[in-house]
Amino acid sequence: MSIVAKDVGKKIGDPPTQILTSINFEIPDGQFLSLTGHSGSGKSTLLYLLSGLDCVSSGSVIVDQVDLSRMKKKEVAHFRNEKIGFVFQFNYLIAELSVLENVLLPAKKYGQEKNRLELAKSILEKVGLIEKLNRLPRQLSGGEEQRVAIARSLVMGPKYLFADEPTGSLDTGNGEIVMKMLKEVHEQKGTTVILVTHEPDYARRAQRQVSLADGRIISDSGPSLELSLPV
Amino acid sequence: MISMVSLAIRYLFSRKRQSLFTLLGIFLGAGGFVVISGFFLGFRFFFIDNLVNNSAHIFIQARQEFLEPHSLDESFFKNETKHVFWKSIPAGEKDYHRIESPQGWYERLDSDPKIEAYSPQLVVPALFSKGGSPIAAGFTGCLPEKQARVNTVAANMVEGKFSDIGGGGNRIIVGQELLKRLGAKIFENVMVTVGVGKQTPFQIVGTFDSGNKRSDLQAYGPLADVQRANHTLNLINEIDVRLFDYEQSSTKATTWSALSSETIESWDQRNSSIFTMFALQAMMRNIIVFVIMLVAGFGIYNVLMMTVSQKMKDIAILQAMGYESWEIRLLFLFQGFLLGVVGALLGLIAGFFICQYLQTLPFGGRPGATRPPGHLTIELTMGIYLQASLLSMMSALIASYLPARAAAKFTPIEIIRGGAV
Repeated sequence: MSIVAKDVGKKIGDPPTQILTSINFEIPDGQFLSLTGHSGSGKSTLLYLLSGLDCVSSGSVIVDQVDLSRMKKKEVAHFRNEKIGFVFQFNYLIAELSVLENVLLPAKKYGQEKNRLELAKSILEKVGLIEKLNRLPRQLSGGEEQRVAIARSLVMGPKYLFADEPTGSLDTGNGEIVMKMLKEVHEQKGTTVILVTHEPDYARRAQRQVSLADGRIISDSGPSLELSLPV
Repeated sequence: MISMVSLAIRYLFSRKRQSLFTLLGIFLGAGGFVVISGFFLGFRFFFIDNLVNNSAHIFIQARQEFLEPHSLDESFFKNETKHVFWKSIPAGEKDYHRIESPQGWYERLDSDPKIEAYSPQLVVPALFSKGGSPIAAGFTGCLPEKQARVNTVAANMVEGKFSDIGGGGNRIIVGQELLKRLGAKIFENVMVTVGVGKQTPFQIVGTFDSGNKRSDLQAYGPLADVQRANHTLNLINEIDVRLFDYEQSSTKATTWSALSSETIESWDQRNSSIFTMFALQAMMRNIIVFVIMLVAGFGIYNVLMMTVSQKMKDIAILQAMGYESWEIRLLFLFQGFLLGVVGALLGLIAGFFICQYLQTLPFGGRPGATRPPGHLTIELTMGIYLQASLLSMMSALIASYLPARAAAKFTPIEIIRGGAV
């Protein structure tokens, strides 16, 4: 099982602008991969396509041998809920919900919040927020908010974790904490982590690094690369 | 689904002031509907109740026939000439109008189980005088025991009893207004001129007050005495009928009209212009409520549109977590629905209490009248409350549908893409 991008192309806007061209690569299960590139290189767009948040203009994205473009809306929604965890640059927490409620939000979709309650608390404990589970997002610091967002992305035990510049809005200290959490998720749970970053240092900590420029892959350290740099 | 409902409630509570103002719009709409409807419908029912209870339900009257240019040819010239040319063409009302076959009517009415009572009458215009200027008023000859069963004249007696005219002997009952204009008192004699112009003395043995000035400008006398004074013995020109179920009046009147030559009208046909006024009133009521609901609806629409634009990131993250479009739509529709339900409920309660208060206000009566004034009639039927609830909720749902649809239309990527390529 893996994520496979086959000749993926993406155009957006009117008139259409080519953002990605002929992207071909495969991400084996359990890999920690970083996508790097300058602003506008198409790395975030590729991440959204691989995670099923966006649709390809040409080619296909195959996840666990299923072509995402052939999935019905309901199936895509279920796929996102069950298999995908997503961490954005901005945490996108729901301001009206407490830390715990935010973390349990994906579980509520199928009425699993009771089953996932203990897991949610244990994740919050790991990220050092168990004391703050009843607080509202506005009562947290930026780093804490991002940790809640990561906890939320993990509560369904996703097979794939997509992180779009999760350290982009954080200071170095909080950035390090977030990177450590991603690494732990990958190592302890075997979760496939795909990280978009323009921080070369963070990118190097992944097992595999893919670089994009002008919508094309310009370098790929390869699927078999086993880098394990200290975090 | 429950998570969307609870989130919707959180959203509403997070912007209390906006929610309160929107709620106020729905509250005013629902409360306004209850009060306006209660007032207008109450007035309508009060009026109908008065009409139905105070008077007969069907009026059978002699048909008024008019002379045609050649309707007298045969009477004057028989077969003497083929073509008659009148210098002054015959015109005007034909003879004295009468019910042609009263006995036939009595038999028909007696055998109809839907008829509660009927009263044969001779209704004539008359001049009443007591020394001073004569007063023109209606004069109804009737059989008092029958008349008392078709309208409320007997119940409206101020002095004397309606049955006092039953024994004959030129005794009459007069309305308070007529009594006042005549300057007469009970047991005094007045001169009544009817028909060919001969004056007949009648003694006032009672007075009534119907609460209606026009109705009180008339007098009732024994049928035989009025027939004699009018020189129309055994003639009647009207039969007033009361049904057990007044709602069948117009159907019955229409059926009888098709079978007879008399002019037959039901109470509602006779007052059709008033019903047109009621229809206009209902239209006005609907317009007022529609405007209130429209304003309230716009309030909800604006607040929710603003919420959608403020909660774009929430929509994106919910969709990224697997929430579907219908759930996003529900999130915003439910906010509108909740505002509608709570606003309507508060409006109905307030409307109910305002109506209760309005019912205590005095209404009716006139200066110098012997009848005490009644109270404002306010309609409080469930139908009004149901309509108000439905209208409020519909207005809220319609107003929240567009923002909800707009919110559900976005894909997470459209929202996130702001700075991410």
